[in-house]
Parts: sequence; structure tokens; C-alpha cells
Amino acid sequence: MARSRRRVGWHRYFNGLYLSTALVAVFVLLPIYWLVVTSFKTPGAVGSSPPQYFPNPFSLVNYKVAFQQNSFGHYIVNSAIVAVISTVLVLSIGTLAGYALGRLPMRGKFPILVILLMISVFPAVAVVAPLYLLLRDIGWLNSYQALIFPYTAFNLPFAIWILRNYMLGIAREMEETARIDGASPLRTVWSIILPQAMPGLFTAGIFCFTACWTEFLMALTFNSSNNFRTIPVGIALFGSQFTVPYGTIFAASVVAVVPIAVIVLVFRKSVVSGLTAGAVKG
Amino acid sequence: MSTPTTTAQLAAIPGAARGRSAAAPVGKHDANRKRLARLGWTFSTPAFLVVGAFTIFPIGFSIAMSISHVNVSGSGFSLSGVTGSNYNTLVHAAQWRYALGFTVVYTIITVLVEIVLGTCIALVLERLTKGRGLMMALLLVPWSMITVISAELWGYIYDASYGVLDQIFSGIGLGHPVILGTSTSAIVAMMVADAWKTTPFVAIIVLAGLVMLPDELYEAAEVDGASSWTAFWRIAFPLLRPTIALAVLFRILQAFGLFDLPFVLTQGGPGYSTTSLAVLGYNTMFQDLDFGPGAAVATSTAVLVLIGCLLFLRVFKAQVGEEES
Repeated sequence: MARSRRRVGWHRYFNGLYLSTALVAVFVLLPIYWLVVTSFKTPGAVGSSPPQYFPNPFSLVNYKVAFQQNSFGHYIVNSAIVAVISTVLVLSIGTLAGYALGRLPMRGKFPILVILLMISVFPAVAVVAPLYLLLRDIGWLNSYQALIFPYTAFNLPFAIWILRNYMLGIAREMEETARIDGASPLRTVWSIILPQAMPGLFTAGIFCFTACWTEFLMALTFNSSNNFRTIPVGIALFGSQFTVPYGTIFAASVVAVVPIAVIVLVFRKSVVSGLTAGAVKG
Repeated sequence: MSTPTTTAQLAAIPGAARGRSAAAPVGKHDANRKRLARLGWTFSTPAFLVVGAFTIFPIGFSIAMSISHVNVSGSGFSLSGVTGSNYNTLVHAAQWRYALGFTVVYTIITVLVEIVLGTCIALVLERLTKGRGLMMALLLVPWSMITVISAELWGYIYDASYGVLDQIFSGIGLGHPVILGTSTSAIVAMMVADAWKTTPFVAIIVLAGLVMLPDELYEAAEVDGASSWTAFWRIAFPLLRPTIALAVLFRILQAFGLFDLPFVLTQGGPGYSTTSLAVLGYNTMFQDLDFGPGAAVATSTAVLVLIGCLLFLRVFKAQVGEEES
């Protein structure tokens, strides 16, 4: 990947390659530095002016407050349950649909794919009101399924697109052989297609999980009771209208951001390929 | 491992498959095709059911709500009568007109800034021989950040009494402006926070596109004595256009649903200067409990997004056409 195109000589316009790179890094990292550092300050130092640029003394009080006085641990569990179940549902349902739309001779594929594409970018605010009323009608407000089903539905379209694109690239021969050998269609998907579509499954899974982990509007609307709050809702509703307990918020934030950052960094190849697949192909 | 390649597969939508099977012998094959098509529908039914029930049905329901009198009581709700009054209220509400204007202007400015900045960053990183992977990883961190958290973080940075930015401003002799206290500065502050989170997304997409361009193109340009600016503008940019265009459209549609950032960072204020369409819709429905007008806000937003999608489709189709010709 690391090829040099020095010859082109863009450096005339982007003078000081490393300086520019450093600037980008600083722009990205400074706010994150501030987030982490503030979480380790004492509650008094969080609100001090001039601010401490390094925590002195180093303190874990904010973490204790987030987990002991507030039920932040509980919010993490809620987020994890919702995100994991939604992702599993999206991947299993999405694999079948992606296979069908990618490799089976169905009529009307193009309109279906276009509709899916539109849904995947549809603003959530357009559906929260009817969904809220319907969920209330069937008594699902403040429950895990109140988020799991909408999350599954909203993340399926993009997952289907990604999976379909991966499946288009798989050779047809093995599938034919399996069919001639008398394998059932489900068996064919399971043992021939699935192993080869693994990278696609990975990408779709990471995207779905990230989307569920960060979603705010629906979680705020459907699950506002303390027992079912997810991380974003919990963080947004910490404190009151007049005092924002930044120390507690940032301690909680560091804990919430770390797992997703680790997942994204470890699997950055899949994420990048998914982002570009998303951008290039919709 | 087949990683999705560039626009080559974009063209591989239905047409190609149909072309292949048309050439195959008919008869027994035809029956097989029918069987496979049925299988396709069976396999996709669960997906269509879930998507239909939780996205398409509510969208339709939202439209119905927006043209009815919605009565919400403690135990349930009912729709009665067809009316245009919700939309009438909307059009005559200064707040809605402001929110519409704000959302449009905000979307245009942020997307423009993000695309230009993101492309510059991609061009810089593309020239890196070492550490490009590391920088890419770094760019993914803001992208994966929970928006609520980045909003809280920027709120702390902008805070009037102990924010670090206030410290910097007074340090360079700009006094103590209350950043989130006036409309203009609050809007700019929100745009900066937005750019921090989404510019990396654009940079990654453009960078991935740049890396995939063949080296020979540049060599040819160099032989011809093209300046580096010409090389970018005449060679790389046209090839990147599909990538950038679709990134733009994606960002526009996302930006149009702007909710988390103003809700947490500014609560739509000061006044209603940062109240986006989504925030207005939410407030109307869940704070004022006016579900009819709220649904009208939501539906009109959705219609605008739909128009955006159709434009998107035109670009998309035009590009597929270009690829094939």
C-alpha cells in the first residue's frame, strides 16, 4: 500500500508533508486528549479556571461516581445487549437477503436495492413518532425489544448492500457443485457462501454494532426509564439542566468509547473497505 | 478474499446477470431459474418483513398522522379526519421556516467544508510513505465516537467559565466571548464540532479512492510536464468524482437529520438559533405533545430527504452509464 508518488510533486502545494500530517493528528487528538485527561481530574479541578492541562492530582473519583452513584454499569449492559442482539439478527437475516439479491435470479432487484438504499439514509426523526405510538400501544416502551427491532430494521439495508457486494465476487462453480451434490440451499449458503463472505460479514457487523452503540434519538424516545437507558441516553441525561457534571460524563465516556475504538482500530481494514463500499456503491 | 473494488462493481447491478443467463440454453434451465427465483424471495422475506414493519410502515403512518387530527391520550391514540391544518400550521410557523433554512444552510456549509478539508487531508496522507495506516486508524476514532459524547466534550471546551477555548481566547487578547451565547458563534461552534467528527470520514473515503488510482496516470502526466495542481485537477479529480459525489450525497442526507449535536450541545439555542428540523420535530412531538404538527415536520423532512435521494439516484445512474460506455 505504501507507495510513494513523490514524482507528482504535490509537495509544492502541500508544503511540509510531515507538518501537515502532524496538524491533522493534533486536530484529531487534542479533543480526545482533553476528554481522557479531564476524566482523571478531581471534580474540583474539572471546573477550575485556568484549566489544568494535566490532571494534578490524578484521581479516579469521577469513575467511582459514574459507576457507583449513577448506574452507568447498567447502561453499558443495556447497550451491549441491544447492540449484540441487533447485530446478530442483522447478520443472519442480512446474509440470506444479500445472497438472494446478489446471486439468485429475482425480478425487480434494482428497485428493491434502491429502496433499501434510501431507507439506510432515512432520518430517524421521520419514524420515531409513529414507532413511539405503536410501541406504546403494544406495551413495548422501555424494553430491549423496543430498540432491537428498529435497530435491526434500520441497519439491515446497509448490511444487505455490503453482503451482496461481497457475494457478487464469489465464484459460481462451488455453488453449482454443491447443488449438483444435492446440498439444500440453506446448507449451500452455510458451508459454501458464508466462509467466503466472511470479510463482508465482518464489515457489516462492525458497522451495525457501531450504529447501535451510538444511536441516540430512538433510544431517548423509546427507552427513557433508568432501567433501560443505553449509554448515549445515560450520558446525555446525567446531571440537571443547571449543572453539567463533566467529570462524571467524561469518565463514563472514556469507558464507553474504549470498546468501540478498540474494535474499529483492530478491524480498521474492514471498516475502511466498508466505508468505501458504502460511499462508492451507496 | 474479495474486497469490494471501485466502481467496476457498481455496474454489476442486475443487467449483467440477466445478460449472462440470456445466453444460456432455455427449457430445463428456465425451470431451474424459476425455482431459484422463488428461493430468492423465500430467503429475502425475513429481511423485507422486518424492514417493512419497522421502517416503511412507520413512514406511511407518519404521513397519515401528518394529515390527520391526532388525539393522544394516556392509554392510546386515534387519528380522525383528513386535514391540511398540520401543514398549514407549519408553513405559518416562523420556527419551522427558520429550522428549514438553518438545516439547509448548515448542511451546505458543513458538507462543503468537510469535503474540501477531507480531500486536502487525503492528499496529504496519500503522500505519506510511512505511518499511513496509523493515521487512517487515528481518523477512525472520531468517526466511531458517540455523537452525544463529542457534543458533551465540545460543550466543555466551549464553556464560558472554565472552557479551554475561553482561556485561549483571553490569552490572545480576544476577551471572554460567550461562545454558545450568541447565535452566530453557537452555529459556528457547532459546525466545528461537526467537522471534527465527520471530516475524517470524508478523508478516509477519498484516501481509499486515491490509493486505488493507477500510478501510470501520474507518470504520464509528469512526462507531459503537467503541474501538480493540473495533475490533481485534471487527472485524479475526475476519476475520484464518483467517490466524492457519493460521499457528498451521503453526508448531505446525514446532515439533514442533524439531531444529537444540537440536542446536547446547545439544546437548539440560544433562542431557537440551532434548532434543526429534527430537533424541532422532536420537541413538537415529545415536549409539546403535538403529534400532528410534529408528524408534519418529520414528513416534510423525509420528503426533502427523498428528493435528495432521487437526485442521488440520478447521479448514481449517470455514473453507472458513464462506467458502461
